[in-house]
Amino acid sequence: MRLSIFRFNPEQDEKPYMQDYEIDLEPTDRMLLDVIMRLKVQDDTLTFRKSCREGVCGSDAMNINGRNGLACITLVSELKEPVELRPLPSFPVIRDLVVDMTQFFKQYHSIKPYVINNEPAPEKERLQSPEDREKLNGLYECILCGCCTSQCPSSWWNPDKFVGPAGLLQAYRFIIDSRDQATQERLDDLNDPYRLFRCRSIMNCTEVCPKGLAPSRAIEKMVIVYLMQGVLAFIYGHQADS
Amino acid sequence: MRKIVTGLPAWLVQRVSAVFMVLFILFLLFHFLLDPPRSYQAWHGWMREPGVSAATLVFFAALFLHTWVGVRDVAMDYVHPIALRVSALALLGFSLMAIAAWVVRILLMGHG
Repeated sequence: MRLSIFRFNPEQDEKPYMQDYEIDLEPTDRMLLDVIMRLKVQDDTLTFRKSCREGVCGSDAMNINGRNGLACITLVSELKEPVELRPLPSFPVIRDLVVDMTQFFKQYHSIKPYVINNEPAPEKERLQSPEDREKLNGLYECILCGCCTSQCPSSWWNPDKFVGPAGLLQAYRFIIDSRDQATQERLDDLNDPYRLFRCRSIMNCTEVCPKGLAPSRAIEKMVIVYLMQGVLAFIYGHQADS
Repeated sequence: MRKIVTGLPAWLVQRVSAVFMVLFILFLLFHFLLDPPRSYQAWHGWMREPGVSAATLVFFAALFLHTWVGVRDVAMDYVHPIALRVSALALLGFSLMAIAAWVVRILLMGHG
């Protein structure tokens, strides 16, 4: 298998370059990560992140033939050669395929990704109905690999102001959570020209999510909530006036 | 505390104006296909009808609002130096207002 991999070591290289590799596939090389882990044996300077090897931790997110994905769940048999591997677009490169995700996590933390409930904690746990729990499906599964945010043009232009698809998916996950009491504060926090409304419905996020989630749908649902609130405020505002 | 500038109005303006413009363009298209005016006078008379005239005014208002929000969004994405952005938006705003005044003059006074 032929691969062309983005290389950059800031301590040695003036600028990044693409390095070609050739490796004979073995029967055990099912996923791309299997191949690059064997490449690492050949060339131990090649740097990338990995952990769980089964699409749960999100560490090995990278740009594979122009599309973000997880190396550990990308089938080798489906890849066009030479396989071009680059770090996640728009994220600062630390070395080779390893990127700095500080900004990404800063945006994630900004949406307060935890249940806010000021009532005294019950002895065991805060319960919710099966219907309310069902609403979290398609939201809580996010592994924060960054594939979506890194492929989102709105995040490229305003990474410091636009929360980005991953953060917004999680924002909606807590807005819709029946146990959370900070729904309105969360909505108010996102309602400015940048944090949520920079989304231009390009939908790269939903297209590339390796877990099959739909951040664009979550963003759409939040906009609908704002619209409904606006309509209700308009109606009741006018009723109060008359 | 509620924010003064929120994101929803621009989002709403962009979509409502787009829908109105599509409907108006379809209306014009069908009108000119099914019942084309025979002469300039006939076309002029049709345009002076209050309904058509008002819809045309709303169409241009939608067009200018749509342009403003759209170009403002592009400036917010690409033009980061604040002085340059304010200048670009001011230029756009004045240009749109000038064209809007011209449109009003044509529609209300019947000449350019």
